[in-house]
Amino acid sequence: MKHPDTLVGILLLGFCAVIFSLTINFPEVPAMLSQNVPPTFFPRLIISVIATLSIVLIFNGLQKTANVTERVQPAVLVTTAIIIVAGMMVSLVGTLLTLSLVAVAIPFAWGERRLRPIGILAVTLPACIYLVFSLALGIRFPAGLLFSWMT
Amino acid sequence: MGLPGLEHALPVFTDPFVIGLIVLGTIAGVIVGALPGLSSSMAIALLLPFSLYLDPVPAIALLAALYCSGTFGGSITAILINAPGAPPAAATAFDGYPMAVKGEAGRALGISAIASASGGIISVIVLLFAAPFLARVAYSFGPPEYFALAVFGLSMLASISGQAPIKNLIGGCFGLLIATIGIDLTTGVERFTFNVPELYEGVDFIPVLIGLFAVAELLSQAQNLGREKHSIKLSAVKLPSIDDLRRVKSSILRSSGIGTLIGVLPAEGGTMAAMIGYNEAKRWSDEPGKFGKGAIAGIAGPEAANNAATGGAMVPTLALGIPGSATAAVILGGLQVQGLRPGPYLFDQQPALLYGIFFAMLLSNILFLGFGLIGAKLFSRISLVPRTLLWPTVFALCFVGAYGLEQSIVDVWIMIIAGLVGFVLKRYGFSPAPIIMGLVLGSLVETSLAQSMIIFDQQWTGFLGQPIALVFFGLAGISVLLAPTRATIRRLLSEKDRKA
Repeated sequence: MKHPDTLVGILLLGFCAVIFSLTINFPEVPAMLSQNVPPTFFPRLIISVIATLSIVLIFNGLQKTANVTERVQPAVLVTTAIIIVAGMMVSLVGTLLTLSLVAVAIPFAWGERRLRPIGILAVTLPACIYLVFSLALGIRFPAGLLFSWMT
Repeated sequence: MGLPGLEHALPVFTDPFVIGLIVLGTIAGVIVGALPGLSSSMAIALLLPFSLYLDPVPAIALLAALYCSGTFGGSITAILINAPGAPPAAATAFDGYPMAVKGEAGRALGISAIASASGGIISVIVLLFAAPFLARVAYSFGPPEYFALAVFGLSMLASISGQAPIKNLIGGCFGLLIATIGIDLTTGVERFTFNVPELYEGVDFIPVLIGLFAVAELLSQAQNLGREKHSIKLSAVKLPSIDDLRRVKSSILRSSGIGTLIGVLPAEGGTMAAMIGYNEAKRWSDEPGKFGKGAIAGIAGPEAANNAATGGAMVPTLALGIPGSATAAVILGGLQVQGLRPGPYLFDQQPALLYGIFFAMLLSNILFLGFGLIGAKLFSRISLVPRTLLWPTVFALCFVGAYGLEQSIVDVWIMIIAGLVGFVLKRYGFSPAPIIMGLVLGSLVETSLAQSMIIFDQQWTGFLGQPIALVFFGLAGISVLLAPTRATIRRLLSEKDRKA
């Protein structure tokens, strides 16, 4: 079995190829600024360094024996889903309600079954955020489409 | 050697209103610094409009106190929940968090408070007497020297978390690549923006930092559910012993010197000082193998360095009008809106203001030492909160921190993506710190390289005529080669032992 470093190195080389191809499509530099260092210069320099280091990583990986990588736990996938859904929900139901739902969903996904602390967190967390950040510091959080009529 | 103009500043030192504001700024700084994503630069930017109602001396004293204590405050959450409250505390998490996990949160916080206060006080004293000289040294640096210095800083990544020097260097380059996102300042060309307007000005550092450290840690916590119990041991509330302080004494002194020197270089703030402080603490340690697993010198080194950098950063800000760090840039803006023009003549015309700033920084460092030591037991109690309730709260703070800076939902998505990428990278042995360091240095590296190439008429050989740059390049080469050389020697020695 190959060491994960070998696979990581190969994936990084692929990543470098994709990023390099993106630099080909950079817009043209206006003529009056063409005496400057081209905008592709620095990204390509970095890409070439990453590619070189990736090759070293591949060779190092080939010399190592593989170790067993632990499987990703279901809780990680559920938490990831909660975070992504929360990001999407902000523009619909607003920040405070989203964070309140996160305060219910993550503890529940992690096995917390005591409803009282979950309920207290779901209420106090958005309330504190509203008081400290919105009222005191003046940060304007998205109200969301459902509650936009309130603002 | 006397302190010219000190007599004009004496009323400032005894003014109860100024002292009250410094106490307030210190407490606010520790709290803000402790909240992930809410850096002292953001807090100072938010305070700036209110400071206009004050006279220049108390206003700038308040901001300076907040700057010092905010840097220390960042270490609290770095130690307790592995989410640095401020970028300079990133290196503190390497050993601070493992200590908290082992039930030694109080000891870690105590070491952090003592090292931070020592670094801060030493740097203020040094600056009070040596500011003009240090400023002259920093001012003589041109783009080639800055480029070489940044390359040297990045090369140091090879020896941080020494088990994976190649991965650290790749991480650093990855950070540099992220820093190229946005409009290229010299040509006005869009790079990697994918027509997203929010990316035209580049990727903000804070959402990436929060994502890589806190969101990735949230997922790591989910991965380890049910495996380890977070029951706090009694030693969690035990403060550092005299023996602990004796062991970290040299680390604190060394890092204070490093931090002061790095802080004085324009744009080089506490983050780089802390990284180098950590690296040097490890390099000089008798037990480098313990680093990353809860070594007290791994906390003392970066904390002394990042707080020493706050004093250093104020030198070019005040003497030359060139900010020494991001937070110092905000303070510079504060001076300008007060109608003051920072520069060499400020030392002659506004001695009360300058000594007021030095006094505020000195007092703030003493105050947060007490606050940190007394509050260490209280802060340790955060570990007692069940993680099923703690981590949703952390996520909410991450959300607010990422969103609050620019008030943009795109920054929240950047934080989420950085968190997912950080979790995957962590599984394959990549550390988030090098990526952050690359991102911090990205703009400096590219700008100084572009300026150097213009100066040298696009000829790389131009660097050969720059002795200071060559010294930094030489040090960078040594730094990169040192890690594999040490690994090879270690492997040969173990093979020899096995054969014997």
